[in-house]
Amino acid sequence: MIENYILMHKGGQDEYRDNVFVNYSSALTLAILYFPTEADFSVADEASVSALVQSSSKMRFTDLSESITPILTNLKNYMLIRIDDKHINIERHGKVFAYIVQNGELKMLPNGMSSLEDGDRVICCTGEFMKRLNEVAVLSDAVVSDSAEEWMDNLVCRISDKNRLGEGNLTAVTMIVRSGD
Amino acid sequence: MQTSFADLPTLQSAVYPALVLFALTAIVFTWFTVVYIKRKGFGNPDDSDLYIDCAYFMEIGKRPSQQDSVFISNLSDYKRYGITALVADGMGGMEYGGEISEKVAKFVEQMCPLSFFATEQNSDELRRYSNELYDEYKLSGGSTLAMVHIAGNYMNYYSVGDSDIILVREGVPTILNPRQNYMALLIKSLCRNNKQTVSAYNNPKSRALIDFMGNQNPRVIYTKKPIRIFDGDKIIVSSDGLTDAVSLRNMPHYFRDGASATALELKRAVASRKRPKQDNYTGIVFTIKRSPF
Repeated sequence: MIENYILMHKGGQDEYRDNVFVNYSSALTLAILYFPTEADFSVADEASVSALVQSSSKMRFTDLSESITPILTNLKNYMLIRIDDKHINIERHGKVFAYIVQNGELKMLPNGMSSLEDGDRVICCTGEFMKRLNEVAVLSDAVVSDSAEEWMDNLVCRISDKNRLGEGNLTAVTMIVRSGD
Repeated sequence: MQTSFADLPTLQSAVYPALVLFALTAIVFTWFTVVYIKRKGFGNPDDSDLYIDCAYFMEIGKRPSQQDSVFISNLSDYKRYGITALVADGMGGMEYGGEISEKVAKFVEQMCPLSFFATEQNSDELRRYSNELYDEYKLSGGSTLAMVHIAGNYMNYYSVGDSDIILVREGVPTILNPRQNYMALLIKSLCRNNKQTVSAYNNPKSRALIDFMGNQNPRVIYTKKPIRIFDGDKIIVSSDGLTDAVSLRNMPHYFRDGASATALELKRAVASRKRPKQDNYTGIVFTIKRSPF
């Protein structure tokens, strides 16, 4: 099981433009779209991405990636994630990031598949979310938190200390592998 | 093919070097397992021994009494048990703040040597002691707790309240421990409602603690997995008397190479602010360096 918590906060903007599409099945599939400026924003693309992610349960990750790429051809910043108890598969484009806590360090996850173990903590987030954080802060909040929600709450407090949540949209997903559950 | 008696000398000449080689391998193996690992400790192949330098300051500020307490475990036990350091900040305005912070420091001293891998049990012990304090003082006093346990290349920490544990990496200071105050609750609530958080910072009660030693069943924040530390890192454990006077942004101006010089500079920095209501200020500074040996 992948315990997860998704933050979708409009920040100081009039509306929330980024988006996160989720498919909860035996594996968790996510698409995170990040629009740092209004010019990047495209509503039309989102409906297609949503439909594709919703129907992706039985699709291989590479097939999902190949299907989604033509839809998001004009989008500079997005990430596809599929995660289960054993593996995480990532495809990231532009200023979206994925990190894992391993051996007391926060390491950036590369594109492709990586192995996971029980208790591993993973965060996927936009550049706007990471702008006010550093790796030490993300690591520390990860290792003291009992849940994915608490980890996110602690990170939001740090961002709030810097900007009162008054800047861009904030989008992130915190995940904890719970193999025993 | 049969071996005849005539071949024996040839066989012996082949067996003796093999025996000598075996004996040499056994000696090297024994030296590695018994001597090397005992001296250097277990770890990843890329681990290299770090050594730490430690110094602290503890000043009364403009308060009538010292309500902060510190404890630093014996440095001579470092190789075996690591080092444990604690700052407990007695809650101002409460009758028994200083007394309770002293008791917390003494309790941690009794807990030492801490098991590095039993953070959950250690936090349970701290919570149990807080319940004892609650029974004794009935909320007429309390104290924060900020404690680090450094062993080899890793660090665990424990925290109750709003004292600070700061990790300085590549010159950038970061407060590690989440603060357990009302502001954190307000921010959480505002964030859930998709709002900005300016009002949380304007709330006059936002700095009130929601957990402290002396409270019943406080939440003891602790690291479930240790944090790796590196050559060049600094760790500062302090009461909020330091961080209220010297902001994190300004703090790097006072960092020096050694722990004593850094502690001295930070202490002078607070004094130079001449704040009329300066709280007690206490800081323990560790500098982490690669062993030259």
